[in-house]
Amino acid sequence: MPARTDILEALLFASDTPLELARLREVLELPSVAAARELVEELSARYTDRGLQIVEVGGGYCMVTRPELAPWLVRLTRSRTKQRLTRPALETLAIVAYKQPVSRPELDALRGVSSEAVLENLLERRLIRIPGRKDAPGRPYLFETTREFLVAFGLRDLGDLPKVEGELQVPELAAVAEHGEAEAQQDPGAGGARVPAES
Amino acid sequence: MTADAPKTLEPPRDLTLRVGAFEGPFDLLLHLCRTNEIDLARLPVRTITDQYLVHLEAIEFRDLEAAGAYLVMAATLIHLKSKLLVPPDPSETEALDEEGEALRLELEERLRAYARVKALGTWLGAREAEQALLWSRPAGALPPPGEVPLEDLSAHLLERAMRRLIEEQLRKTPREIEPNPPSVLERMTEILTLLRDTWSLLFSSLVGGERRRSEVVVTLLSVLELVRLGRIRTQQTELFGEIVIERHSGETHAGSN
Repeated sequence: MPARTDILEALLFASDTPLELARLREVLELPSVAAARELVEELSARYTDRGLQIVEVGGGYCMVTRPELAPWLVRLTRSRTKQRLTRPALETLAIVAYKQPVSRPELDALRGVSSEAVLENLLERRLIRIPGRKDAPGRPYLFETTREFLVAFGLRDLGDLPKVEGELQVPELAAVAEHGEAEAQQDPGAGGARVPAES
Repeated sequence: MTADAPKTLEPPRDLTLRVGAFEGPFDLLLHLCRTNEIDLARLPVRTITDQYLVHLEAIEFRDLEAAGAYLVMAATLIHLKSKLLVPPDPSETEALDEEGEALRLELEERLRAYARVKALGTWLGAREAEQALLWSRPAGALPPPGEVPLEDLSAHLLERAMRRLIEEQLRKTPREIEPNPPSVLERMTEILTLLRDTWSLLFSSLVGGERRRSEVVVTLLSVLELVRLGRIRTQQTELFGEIVIERHSGETHAGSN
């Protein structure tokens, strides 16, 4: 039987999405989620002076390169310069992240302009998705952030977002976390707020 | 700012360029407040309205929706300003002031909310920049469950499957429709005729080289019938082995079954 850390290393290396502790526990047949976390920490400690590192994003763990190695990777992948989001896209994403699930009229009211094109772009990039329609006149579509959003911005869960005052408040965030958890039970891909709850 | 790209191509008038960089009326208004170092809590509606309208005149709107958004804000500002300009009617002063104040407060709050959104957008942008320095496994490194791994279907495998098919086809003889299937009686006579000249026959020799199904069936039935009648004896030493047919000498037994 190979060492568990070796197996874990292989899993993290091969996976293209962050691996949740629960999933690691299942695959490695560990007694508990805590044991899985310990194993991750054990492996992570070995990666302190390597080209790769193990990071926690989107409710799971994944292997990424060290930021200081970016120049060489840019050189290697030449054409693959990562396309950055525009300022309107970032602002729209911020509103969706804090007020989710949020409808377009609400978004438009906050931004003072139509968000249609921006929302389409964000949907295409899978940073947001439509969980349903709002029970309001016109039954507008609702939008919420995805796990890809958490990964793209290096967030463990929505709780990693900065706390702000006013309409975009922490209580809103708490509601979002609950919502995300309920969602996670039917869709493991959305388990943004789930893992920390288990710890 | 891809969304703003077309506007920056306009004649290089400083004002136009600057307006073009705004993301909607709130953005412009917020910018005006900031450049005037205005506290949002004391929104000077008169000055802001005038400045806003000046900027608005400089914008060449290309799409109606964006223009509409700016104009709605302009209307709100003008409405607010008018309330402040109209000489107060002693009898209505209170109601008007309250309405104007409520409107002003609402505008203030919306501006404040927008300022927060802007700040969060900036924060997210910074996070994005940090993440852009990290590389991970590209999506799809592991095949998603249930997906057919097409890369495994090599030409070699296809060729093998094709060859197997061809070989199978070669082993089979073309199917034919027999106009006159041989009758059991004819075949029985044939077998007895053959046995007149020889002591034994092989079943396979009776069936013939073509091994047509109907031929096999008729021959077998004939043999069984002859055995029943006591005219022949058969012997098969192993499963699916050759059936040896022999003349049966005891013809006296015939009909005793």
